[in-house]
Amino acid sequence: MEFNDDYPQYEILAQHSEEEGKVKRKKLWRVFWIMLGITILELIIGFQAESMGLLDSLKFSTITLKIIFVGLTIVKAAYIVMEFMHLGHERKALKYTIIAPYVLFVSYLIWIIIVEGTYAGTPERKPAMSKLIIEQQSKIRTGDSHHEEGTEHSTAPVENAGEEKHEEKSKAHH
Amino acid sequence: MSSHSTTVSSKEAWGGGQSPFGVSYGKLFMWFFLISDALTFAGLLCAYGFMRHKYPEVWPIPGEVFTHFPFVDQHIPLAYVGLMTFILIMSSVTMVLAVEAGQRKDKKGVTIWLFLTIIGGLMFVGSQAWEWYHFIVGTEHGAIRNQLINGVWQDAPFHGANLKYNEYGLPVFGNFFFFITGFHGFHVFSGVVINVVIFINVLMGTYERRGHYEMIEKTGLYWHFVDLVWVFVFTFFYLL
Repeated sequence: MEFNDDYPQYEILAQHSEEEGKVKRKKLWRVFWIMLGITILELIIGFQAESMGLLDSLKFSTITLKIIFVGLTIVKAAYIVMEFMHLGHERKALKYTIIAPYVLFVSYLIWIIIVEGTYAGTPERKPAMSKLIIEQQSKIRTGDSHHEEGTEHSTAPVENAGEEKHEEKSKAHH
Repeated sequence: MSSHSTTVSSKEAWGGGQSPFGVSYGKLFMWFFLISDALTFAGLLCAYGFMRHKYPEVWPIPGEVFTHFPFVDQHIPLAYVGLMTFILIMSSVTMVLAVEAGQRKDKKGVTIWLFLTIIGGLMFVGSQAWEWYHFIVGTEHGAIRNQLINGVWQDAPFHGANLKYNEYGLPVFGNFFFFITGFHGFHVFSGVVINVVIFINVLMGTYERRGHYEMIEKTGLYWHFVDLVWVFVFTFFYLL
């Protein structure tokens, strides 16, 4: 369907010859090996994190480890967007139209989420409900509740407020 | 060729009669769609980050949650997701090779590489189903929870995770896991469906008649985006 004869046909312009294709394929396979290498490196760091002292007392990644992982991920993402999605070889106007607003909004979102999340997580900021959930969950995680037989009622999960009422009802029935 | 080159004077580019971005409208709007989709995923992963920072004491340790590997009795953390990541990156490479073959109007090349991409996508969706299965079924020893059994409240073991309980830690981890990997898995599934449609068109010679294989480029953009999202999901759910 031709609706404008003068308009350049970008679909055709994107085509290339056999020789150009050879060069392109070589480049693409190189990108693949780089990405595979980065993934393997990430897994090795993931396995060795504890012995390398990159985990904190809660067995979570330290800030160093976080920066390493996020950095490697951004490198991988850049290779996907720039080489596989071909954005690195498009016109500057398109490249920045796609990347600039996204990076701007998302970096603001990440910043505000980390700040607010950490603030909401400080002990004195956590409402009573949160404290109860944490108490309950830390028992589940360590399996401490084995030793609390007989005190069934006191350890009723917070999130089961509805079921608790149900239990009272059944007691009244008796 | 000149109008497709990466350097073009702004006067010429924005002077009308051509796309200032040097791409067809289909490709441009695929990019716009991908931006909005990427913002959705960014929002989801940031919400995950918020809860992760709010409850560091009771957050599950991913290395202790996802330890299964097919046909192996031992618990190997990270190995299976490593394999899944490899499968998806591999299928991304086959897709980009299909795009390259399309730009040479090599019908046979497109057919082969697109077929391999579809296989890779199906393998990935299958792997994700397997991963979900093990997360839902949980470990043999499970965790202890106060629950109502035969009308009596008692501490009893429960296994695995669902939207309400999670043996590994805070239930909201399970919610995020199911929602984000589910949302991503659905993207992979739609990608496979789109690829199958395109594959049938390639076999029927639709693009041969049209004179160009740009449709492969457009679906390729979507497929790479799925890979891109997985790279981030992999980092935030399994590594950090």
